Amino acid sequence: MDPQKNQGTGASIVARDITKIYGTGADAFHALGPIDLDIKPGEFVSLIGPSGCGKSTTMLLVSGLEPISQGHVEIDGKPLTKPISEIGIVFQDHLLLDFRTAIQNVMLQQEIRKLDKADMRSRADALFEQLDLVGAEDKYPWQLSGGMRQRVSIARALVHDPSMLIMDEPFGALDAISRTQIRHDLEMLWLAKRKTVLFITHSIEEAVGLSDRVLVMSKSPGCIVEEISIDLPRPRPAHLGEYPEFAVYAKKIYTIFEKLGVYNF
Amino acid sequence: MAQMSTVETSGGTRGPALPAWLKSGLLTIVAVLIVMGVWQVAAIAFDVPVWLVPKPSDFMARFVSDFPLLLHHAFETSKTLLMGFALGVLIAVPLAFAITSFGALERGLFPVIVFLNIMPKTVIGPILIVWFGIGPLVAVLIVFLMSFFPVLVDSMSGFRAVDPRLYYITRSMGASPAQTFFRIRLPASMDHIFAGMKIGVVKAVEGVIIAEFIASSAGLGYLIMRASGFMDMTLMFSGLIMAALVALVFNSGMSIAEVVLMPWARRSQ
Ligand SMILES: Nc1ncnc2c1ncn2[C@@H]1O[C@H](COP(=O)(O)OP(=O)(O)OP(=O)(O)O)[C@@H](O)[C@H]1O
Ligand SMILES: [Mg+2]
Repeated sequence: MDPQKNQGTGASIVARDITKIYGTGADAFHALGPIDLDIKPGEFVSLIGPSGCGKSTTMLLVSGLEPISQGHVEIDGKPLTKPISEIGIVFQDHLLLDFRTAIQNVMLQQEIRKLDKADMRSRADALFEQLDLVGAEDKYPWQLSGGMRQRVSIARALVHDPSMLIMDEPFGALDAISRTQIRHDLEMLWLAKRKTVLFITHSIEEAVGLSDRVLVMSKSPGCIVEEISIDLPRPRPAHLGEYPEFAVYAKKIYTIFEKLGVYNF
Repeated sequence: MAQMSTVETSGGTRGPALPAWLKSGLLTIVAVLIVMGVWQVAAIAFDVPVWLVPKPSDFMARFVSDFPLLLHHAFETSKTLLMGFALGVLIAVPLAFAITSFGALERGLFPVIVFLNIMPKTVIGPILIVWFGIGPLVAVLIVFLMSFFPVLVDSMSGFRAVDPRLYYITRSMGASPAQTFFRIRLPASMDHIFAGMKIGVVKAVEGVIIAEFIASSAGLGYLIMRASGFMDMTLMFSGLIMAALVALVFNSGMSIAEVVLMPWARRSQ
């Protein structure tokens, strides 16, 4: 691999033995871990695993939004003590604010971070164009389709150009065609900026199509059981299925899932 | 059943292209005119004396001839209503926020408030008169007491009903507590707060007239009470109509405020 490739401008993420237990006493539920993460600056890492294994939980722990039950996290070498703000997050179910229009949801970043309004507005407009959201600016979330809502939340995560991006199944509500397109757009964006990305997905195609590295998780309580480096040239093609190298990686992940009992054919 | 009614409503909207509020407004006016007409005819037919039940023509004439007087008292009533209601909202909303934020307040203070609310507010009137003397202030305080509680309770459930995951958004942006309150918590609770304010305004309208009966030297309640002393039936009835108009203005004011302050609310029907 080209050594220059990983000279990213993003933040590094290191996690040691992180575990999450929701609730206490009789209600205590071991949801995750212990897991380790070592994500280099500018690296694109995917987390893939069966439903309920703790992927979203991992994201909440790493970003400091939920307290860690055991273990610790370091961002750029500094221990995580409060929520990271140098970050853009795409939440699994969009989490748009019902009382704000699409553009106001995105511009919340500008309002809270007190960034330059005109500058951020032009960035937001550019993202709306790129994400095929032109015309949706002044609509409220309930007036948007599921896929549009998801794209608005992607715009919100990107608009302030964060050094770290966490995306929790960001393309889940999209149709296959827009999914392939947006996957390519995200890759191009990432190639241009080289921010650290932690990408959570159910889709083997997305994981292989986007990542430098894929981390495969076991069933709940999830642990990382396998780490696969994806050595494919970038930008990666739209129809990955036609390429034998892709098929090899995909087969590898399928085999792991089969061994874990995720698939029962 | 549900399907039947949807079919009917969709059929109804296909009629003449009048906005719904105008249609219901016209219907109300027609209904009122019919009632008044029947009343007028009956009063003449049975020869009911004016001092017992005035005819619509009697009190409508009085309404016109004494309009400046009625308007003056309507203005006083509105002032009292507005002050009492505003005071209620300005205290209830922050208090609801405090109570839902601190468990100790919920356990200590809320039961006291609930107990105070059970007491009939008009009973507090004579005590307030001793403290503050007869005058609009006592009426303001009674209106405040009447409208305060519904706003408090609904604001509390509003603040509680906010999806806690919404705070992930602001926390990942490094928001201050004030930013989180004004950008997430308050707007996300707005529909509940408005529901409380709508009930509150109805209570306030009800309360203001009663408060003026017992404890004021101005306002429509006071005017009606005084007219009652003189058995001035037509003035009492025209006062009643003015009171209804004040209530209408305040209720419409609430609906307009809702449209202005909550532009995001779904207005599908
Ligand atoms: N706030 C919570 N309280 C209690 N249990 C929770 C909470 N959030 C998640 N869990 C549990 O933790 C486990 C992991 O949840 P998580 O959302 O991380 O899964 P996931 O891997 O993201 O699943 P999916 O792919 O379906 O999104 C699940 O069994 C879930 O029921
Ligand atoms: Mg999830």
